[in-house]
Amino acid sequence: MKRPNDVMVGLTVLVVVGALLGALTWIKRADIGTRRQTVIARFHDVGNTRVGNEVVIRGVIAGQIQAIELAPAGWVDVRMKLDRDVQLPADPVVLLNESSLFGDWQATILERRALPHDETVRQEIAAASGIPNVLPGTTLPGIGTLTAVAGQIAGDVASVAGRVKVAFDDQAARELRGSIRNVSDLSTVLTTTVRAHASDLDTVAVQLRSAVASLNRTATAVQRTMERVDSSASSGDVRHIVDDLAVASSELRRATTQVRDLTERFATTQRQLDVLLATSDSVLRKVNAGQGSLGLFVNDPALYQHSDSLVAQLRALVTDFKANPGRYIRLRIF
Amino acid sequence: MSGTSAEAPTPVAPMVQSIVERLGRGTRRMLAAVGSVSRFVWATVVAFRDTRTWAPETLEQLRRLGVDSIPLGLYIAAFTGIVLALLASYSFTGAVPLYFVGTLVGKTITLELAPVLTGLALAGRVGANIAAELGTMRVTEQIDALETLGYDPLAYLVVPRVIAGTVMFPVIVAAAMMMGIACGWIASATLLGLSSAQFVKGLRLYFQTFDVEYGLVKSASFGLAVALVGARRGLRTEGGAVGVGNAATSAVVLSAVLILVIDAFWAVTWLLGRAATAS
Repeated sequence: MKRPNDVMVGLTVLVVVGALLGALTWIKRADIGTRRQTVIARFHDVGNTRVGNEVVIRGVIAGQIQAIELAPAGWVDVRMKLDRDVQLPADPVVLLNESSLFGDWQATILERRALPHDETVRQEIAAASGIPNVLPGTTLPGIGTLTAVAGQIAGDVASVAGRVKVAFDDQAARELRGSIRNVSDLSTVLTTTVRAHASDLDTVAVQLRSAVASLNRTATAVQRTMERVDSSASSGDVRHIVDDLAVASSELRRATTQVRDLTERFATTQRQLDVLLATSDSVLRKVNAGQGSLGLFVNDPALYQHSDSLVAQLRALVTDFKANPGRYIRLRIF
Repeated sequence: MSGTSAEAPTPVAPMVQSIVERLGRGTRRMLAAVGSVSRFVWATVVAFRDTRTWAPETLEQLRRLGVDSIPLGLYIAAFTGIVLALLASYSFTGAVPLYFVGTLVGKTITLELAPVLTGLALAGRVGANIAAELGTMRVTEQIDALETLGYDPLAYLVVPRVIAGTVMFPVIVAAAMMMGIACGWIASATLLGLSSAQFVKGLRLYFQTFDVEYGLVKSASFGLAVALVGARRGLRTEGGAVGVGNAATSAVVLSAVLILVIDAFWAVTWLLGRAATAS
């Protein structure tokens, strides 16, 4: 009884353990006894790449990632085991990228000239280059990053679309149609005009060339003038001019002082005139009101008539006096 | 206590007293049970020293409890794998690539279904077997005879069964894992039209050796619990055939409950801790 038990239990355990180890080896693709070549690539960041992810060359699985280790100076080294017969492309670089939408990553070995036309990718590859026996590598953005960016873009587009919707109602559409039609008409007119005035434009161009030549000549003359000015400055004429200007300035200052005195006097006179006018105004107001002798004289017609009569009598008296002086003057000598 | 100064007891006091008494009695019984189980486990551990007694019996128990249980484990795992593949394909309606059937089958079988379903099935077969066998020996006084002959019943009867349960449960579960995944693969290929390459791609996608380790360690703890529960229930059997039946029933029920509790324990302490460390 004991012996069959031993055999049975031993066989069962052996078979199950052997099968389990075989299955694990197969699933993990362990390379027991297989000769492989090792390639190391250097990255700033490896994203979600994990040990065991596939290494792909031109779309063909060529090996798998064996180890991911932190390296000095902020780098990460990824060691890849490739099949022995795999030939690396010329000037190889390594890209880490997602191989599906569900989070599995892969390492892609490709030629440097086949890199995507992305400045960041090329800069990172350049930064990781130059280390002997280590391939430069970089990581492409994952689906999460791309989705986030796409979401942001979608939000912006939605915002713009909303604004356009608000601004672009039926009225705006009609106006825009009208504007487009107007622009079309304008374009036609412009074409016609341009054709009609093509010769004029040629003439203008000739004249423009002539004007430019004149400008050049003028510039030459100005240059010469400036040279002369420069020469005058160096010969002392400018100093004389400055001295004269100083004299003129002092005289001008003196004249200004005199003008200021005159202005003050004029202000005084104006103030006296104001007082005079105020007094005159008061007198005239009284005259108009019939106050005083002058007021009575101006405003009372009877007085005027009496005065007029008096003047007439005086004139008659004088006439009479001239005609008959003896009636009024009696001259006696003794 | 004299009658002159005694106050009439309020009706609330006896009720509170009764509740407190029941609480105390329950606590005492629980502690007594814990103490009894602990003594039993400790005595079993101590019995491991008696190698001459338990070693000859262990191979027999390994074959009876382990090897003979393999067909049951394979049978359960085969149908679990098939159903799991079909359920996965049913759930992945268009949105998820079908190769994730391989991922789901592999992960679920290795981490959970193979250990737990096999453990529950073996709780019925092995736990009931141990409890009934030892219970019959108890009621027929064979255990008393062993003690009279100077054998330690724990070393002679319990230790070989505990070793057999602890060692052979992982073996059975390992076989069940392979069978479950293989049947899921076959079902995917034949019933779902999924190519082998796609299934294997999904299987390898998130596969970790830890998954197998976790399932095997878990199943070893299930085997230990089932053997200990069956042995204890069997040794405490009283009352003839009815007692043996009760012992077998309670051993199966308690083993099944313990398997689920231990499963949750491992998930919380090991799986969750690992997930927290990984994140």
